[in-house]
Amino acid sequence: MGIGPSTKETSLHHFRDPLLEVVSSDPEIDLMGIIIVGTPDAGEDKLLVGTRAAIWAECMRADGAIVSSDGWGNSDVDYTNTVYQLGIRGIPVTGLNFSGTMAQFVVTNEYLDAIVDINKNPEGIESENVGENAVDALDARKALAMLKIKMRKKEQQG
Amino acid sequence: MAQEINLRRLVIKSFHVNSVEWGEHNDVTPDGKMTVSRELLDTLMEENKDIIEKIDIQIIQPGDHDRWTNTMMDIIPVSTKVLGILGEGITHTITGVYFMMTGVDVDGVQTYEFGSSEGNLKDKLFLNKAGTPGDNDVIISFDFLFKSHMGQDMNACTRAHGACDKFIQSYRDKLKKFKGDLCTTRNTYYDTVRPGKKRVVIIKQVAGQGAMYDTHLFGKEPSGTEGSKSIIHMGNMPVVVTPNEYRDGIIRSMQ
Repeated sequence: MGIGPSTKETSLHHFRDPLLEVVSSDPEIDLMGIIIVGTPDAGEDKLLVGTRAAIWAECMRADGAIVSSDGWGNSDVDYTNTVYQLGIRGIPVTGLNFSGTMAQFVVTNEYLDAIVDINKNPEGIESENVGENAVDALDARKALAMLKIKMRKKEQQG
Repeated sequence: MAQEINLRRLVIKSFHVNSVEWGEHNDVTPDGKMTVSRELLDTLMEENKDIIEKIDIQIIQPGDHDRWTNTMMDIIPVSTKVLGILGEGITHTITGVYFMMTGVDVDGVQTYEFGSSEGNLKDKLFLNKAGTPGDNDVIISFDFLFKSHMGQDMNACTRAHGACDKFIQSYRDKLKKFKGDLCTTRNTYYDTVRPGKKRVVIIKQVAGQGAMYDTHLFGKEPSGTEGSKSIIHMGNMPVVVTPNEYRDGIIRSMQ
């Protein structure tokens, strides 16, 4: 069990992933693919792999990206960098991440303005209860709705 | 308006299991009966005797959750390829019963990294989520007692997942042979291009720091470990998969 049992994405979760179902079934969205990126131990590597993920998105000519995260704390370093790297490449980005009352981003940047807090625990804590704070379809719909707004805004701004 | 283009098709046929009982052999039938046996455990123990002290299996019936559980390493569906490779063709999957892999070592150290989920199962497992069983589902608890410190060792944890997967394979081999038209539900999925629509990519950040915090990809079977590659061994570098590959169980969560 890794960091954050309550947000843990089990093999069963991946098999019937709500984020994938929501995005792939929207007729207004051309889902190009899913980029799976790890969370290395070393700080330098954290920045490297997230940057490579953003470069993938740029080379795919993505109009937008949704970044989800399994776990929190240490892996937020990876997460905030990936969102930043997408942002500076002009790719509208939203995401899903656990914050609650105990896990707000330590480092922030201007592109983290549309991240859905997947917390569902009444006290906003990592309860260590499997499944409690995991991403559900409502979280995914919020992230997709915000992405549509951001993509439209970018289009309007030219 | 440009037409949608379907690149490839994946059909997932679900077979619902209504009853799970102890039996002489591991077996599952299209009429929804599953039996669980401990006969494979001797082989699995022999193969892993350097790292594992004991493997315990329990059948947890719906509602019978007022019981101790060690930390949950994974919850795994039983699915198998019948035609084609991951992401296309036909997959059979079982609904109504899921495997729950748990672990602790002989010194009482739970198999976890930061944050573990041992305790009373009725409190520690939230049901009816995408990644957890539902109210009416049976859980097959596959519990590892590791030798000292082995529950914190990446190679040992990977091998434990492999042992559990071997056990699950005995059901996959039966499920593979089910006649497709006997399925309970059938879902058809396409990798679809929607020309002219907003092009979106999903980026999934997954575990990749070591024992109990690893993610495997590209197993031969859906949600399986045989032939799978650790994202750690791939340098945690981004890998692109199609929606159908993803929903066909290309990820085995090793955390």
